[in-house]
Amino acid sequence: MIKKNNWKGWLYLAPIIILMAVFTFYPLISTFSIAFMKDYDYIKQTSAGFTFDNFAIVLGLAPTNPEAPVELQGYVTDVVRYAIPNTAIITFVTVPLSIIIALAIAVGLNSIPKFQKIFQTIFFIPYVTNSIAVGMVFAVLFDYNGIVNFLLGTMGREYAWIDLGAPTWKAMIALCIYIIWSSLPFKILIFLSGLAGIDKQYYDAAKIDSAGKFKTLMHVTVPLLSPQILYVMITSFIGAFKEYDSVVGLLGKPGTDATKNMYTVVYYIYDTISQNNVHYGSAAAVLLFVVILAFTGIQFWVSKKRVHY
Amino acid sequence: MEIRLKHLTKIFPGNPKKNIPDTHAVEDLNLTIPDGKLYALLGPSGCGKSTTLNMIAGLSEPSSGEIWFGDEDVTDLSPEKRGIGLVFQNYALYPHMTVYKNVAFPLTNLRVEEKVKDANGNDVLDEEGKPLVKKRKLTKIEIDKLVRETSKIVQIEEYLWRKPSQLSGGQQQRVAIARALVKHPRVLLLDEPLSNLDARLRLQTREEIRRIQKSTGITTIFVTHDQEEAMSISDEIVVMKLGVEQQAGIPQEVYNEPANRFVANFLGTPPINFFHGEIRGNKIYIGDAMVKEITDKTLPDQKVTVGIRPEGIVPSEKGVLPFHIDQIITQGRDIIIQGDHPLETRPCKFVVDAFTDVKVGDIHCEVKPHKCFAFSLEGNEERIA
Ligand SMILES: Nc1ncnc2c1ncn2[C@@H]1O[C@H](COP(=O)(O)OP(=O)(O)OP(=O)(O)O)[C@@H](O)[C@H]1O
Ligand SMILES: [Mg+2]
Repeated sequence: MIKKNNWKGWLYLAPIIILMAVFTFYPLISTFSIAFMKDYDYIKQTSAGFTFDNFAIVLGLAPTNPEAPVELQGYVTDVVRYAIPNTAIITFVTVPLSIIIALAIAVGLNSIPKFQKIFQTIFFIPYVTNSIAVGMVFAVLFDYNGIVNFLLGTMGREYAWIDLGAPTWKAMIALCIYIIWSSLPFKILIFLSGLAGIDKQYYDAAKIDSAGKFKTLMHVTVPLLSPQILYVMITSFIGAFKEYDSVVGLLGKPGTDATKNMYTVVYYIYDTISQNNVHYGSAAAVLLFVVILAFTGIQFWVSKKRVHY
Repeated sequence: MEIRLKHLTKIFPGNPKKNIPDTHAVEDLNLTIPDGKLYALLGPSGCGKSTTLNMIAGLSEPSSGEIWFGDEDVTDLSPEKRGIGLVFQNYALYPHMTVYKNVAFPLTNLRVEEKVKDANGNDVLDEEGKPLVKKRKLTKIEIDKLVRETSKIVQIEEYLWRKPSQLSGGQQQRVAIARALVKHPRVLLLDEPLSNLDARLRLQTREEIRRIQKSTGITTIFVTHDQEEAMSISDEIVVMKLGVEQQAGIPQEVYNEPANRFVANFLGTPPINFFHGEIRGNKIYIGDAMVKEITDKTLPDQKVTVGIRPEGIVPSEKGVLPFHIDQIITQGRDIIIQGDHPLETRPCKFVVDAFTDVKVGDIHCEVKPHKCFAFSLEGNEERIA
C-alpha cells in the first residue's frame, strides 16, 4: 500500500530535490572530481588527466609546472604563508571570544527585569543589517583618520588599521572585532532561547544550596545550556573556517600591502576562479572540507561527556 | 530551632490599569513552629502554602511581617544565609549532575569556621586574646563522608552514580531530601513532596519522611493539600484558607474540635456531612430529630449548619435520624454508605464496619454526639457547639 503511492512523495519532494541536485550535489561532486584533474580548464571543460599534484601544489609542496626548467618553476605559497595561518587565527580567536561574549550578553539580558525586549531588539539589529553597510561602518571606524584612532589619540596614515600600509596584526585585530561583532546577534538569539527554556526552579535550588552567582552560572546555566553551546560552537567553527566575506567587506582586497597578507583559505578558493585555476581551488576546498569534518567530529566526540540534553 | 511567623503577609500586586486586583496570597499569618517537630501547612490549592514556604526559605520577600528562626530575625536574610534545606514540589534536581554531585553540591558552597592552630596544635589568638577563627571550604574527603552518610539515611547509596532521569519518582524524591539534609540545615522545608507519587509510594515515602525527620530531629515544615497526609505524619498542623489561618494545633484535636465549617469540611475522608438544622432549647435538631444536647453552655435558639462525621452516624432501629440509602460501597475493612436526608447540603456518606447488616432503602440512624457539631451561619461559620 505505502509502496504503491511512493511516486507521489517523490513528486512533492521534486522541486527541492532538483534545486539541491543543481546547486548542491552537482557542484559537490564536481569539486571532488576537479580536485583530482590535471590542468583543468573550466571554460573549455578539459583536463590533462588524473593527478594528486593539485593538493601538493596548494600546500606549496610541489611547483605548479614541474616540467619547466627549475628557474621557471612557480610555487603557490600564499596559501601556506597567509591563508592557512590567517584562517587559523580567525577561527581560534573569534569563535571562543564571540561565544563567551554572546553568553555573557545573553545571561545579562535574561536577568534584567525591565526593558528586556528593547535591549533584545537592539542586540539583534546587526543580524538584519546589510553586511556591506556594516563593512562600510567598520571601514569608517578603523580608517586611519577614523573614530578608533581619534579615541586612541593616534591620527594619521602611519597608524593605519586597515588602509594600505597597515601591519598585519592591526588589520587582523580589526577583522576579528568585525567578525565577532557581526556574529553576536545570532548567538545571543540562540542562547536567549536556550535560557528561556531553563526551569527557574534550578536557580531557586542553587540559591537554597548557597551557590554564588558565578558558581551558578558555571554549574547550572552553562551545563543546562550545553546543547545550544555545542550547536553554536560547531556552526561558528564551520563559519570561521570559511571566513571570506568579512575580509572583502572590511578591506575590499586580500591585503594591506603589496602581498596577500589578509588572505583566507576561501578567499584563495574564490581567487582561483578568476585565474582559471579551479583545480587548485577544488583541491583547497576538499582539504578544507576534510579539516572541517575532522574538527566537527572531534567536537562531537569531546562533547559526548559534556553536553546534557 | 523554633520558627515564628509574625503578622506575615504577602500581597502580589495586581494591575489597576487592566482591572486586575491585588492577590492577598498570605494574610497576617502568626505561627509558632516548635523546635524539632514536623509541622504541616494544610489547605486547598491556591491558599498560599507555597508562598508561605517560599517566604520562610527566603525565595520570596514578605510584603510585611517578620520571620524569626529562634531568636534571630531572618526576614531580610538572603536564602543562602538562612541555612535551610528545601525539597521542591517537583524536586528540581540538577539534571546534568549525578545523584552524588546533586547531593554534594550544597556542600561545595559551604564554609566552615575553624580555629587556627599553630605548629604545636595550640589555638592561635588574635589581638583581643580570642582564638583566631578562619573560614574554609570543606575538603573532598569531608564532603564524601557527608554525602555517604546522608545517602544511607535516605537509602540512595545504590544510585549515587546515576543521573536523576534514570531514577523513579520516589528515588528522585529521596535524592531531593538528601540534598536538602546533607548540609545539616536548621530547618527542612518540603513543598508537596509526595504529589507526584502513586498511592503506594506516597504512603511509603511519607513514613520515610517521618522516620528521617525523627532520626535527625530537624524542625520540618511540610506543605500539602492532602489532609490525610498531614494528619498522619505531622506533630502539628495549621489549616489555611485564602491566605488566612483557620486553625492550628495537634491533628487529632483539630479533627475532633474544628474551629469552623471550613476546617471541619477540609479534614477527613470521606468528608463530614452537613445538614440544615437549628438549636432549640439548647438542643441541636435536624428537622424534628434531636441529634445532640448541649451541656457545657447555653445558646440562644437559632438556625445552624449541623455537621456530622461519617463515622458518627450509626444505623439503628431506635435511631432518631431517618435516611434513605442509595448505595453501599464495600471497601474491605469498612462499608461506605451513601444516603440522602431531606435537609442535607450534599449526598451524605457514612462509614460503618464491614459486618454491619444494611440494605438499600429507608433506615434510621443514631448520631454519636461527640462527632456532631453546630456551625454558625454568620461570618466565618465558626463552630458554636
Ligand atoms: N507570582 C505571583 N503573582 C501573582 N499571584 C501569585 C503569584 N504566586 C502565587 N500567586 C497567587 O497567590 C495565591 C497563593 O499561591 P500559592 O502558590 O502559595 O498556593 P498553594 O497553596 O501553594 O497552592 P497549591 O496547592 O496549588 O500549590 C494564589 O491565588 C496564586 O494565584
Ligand atoms: Mg504550592
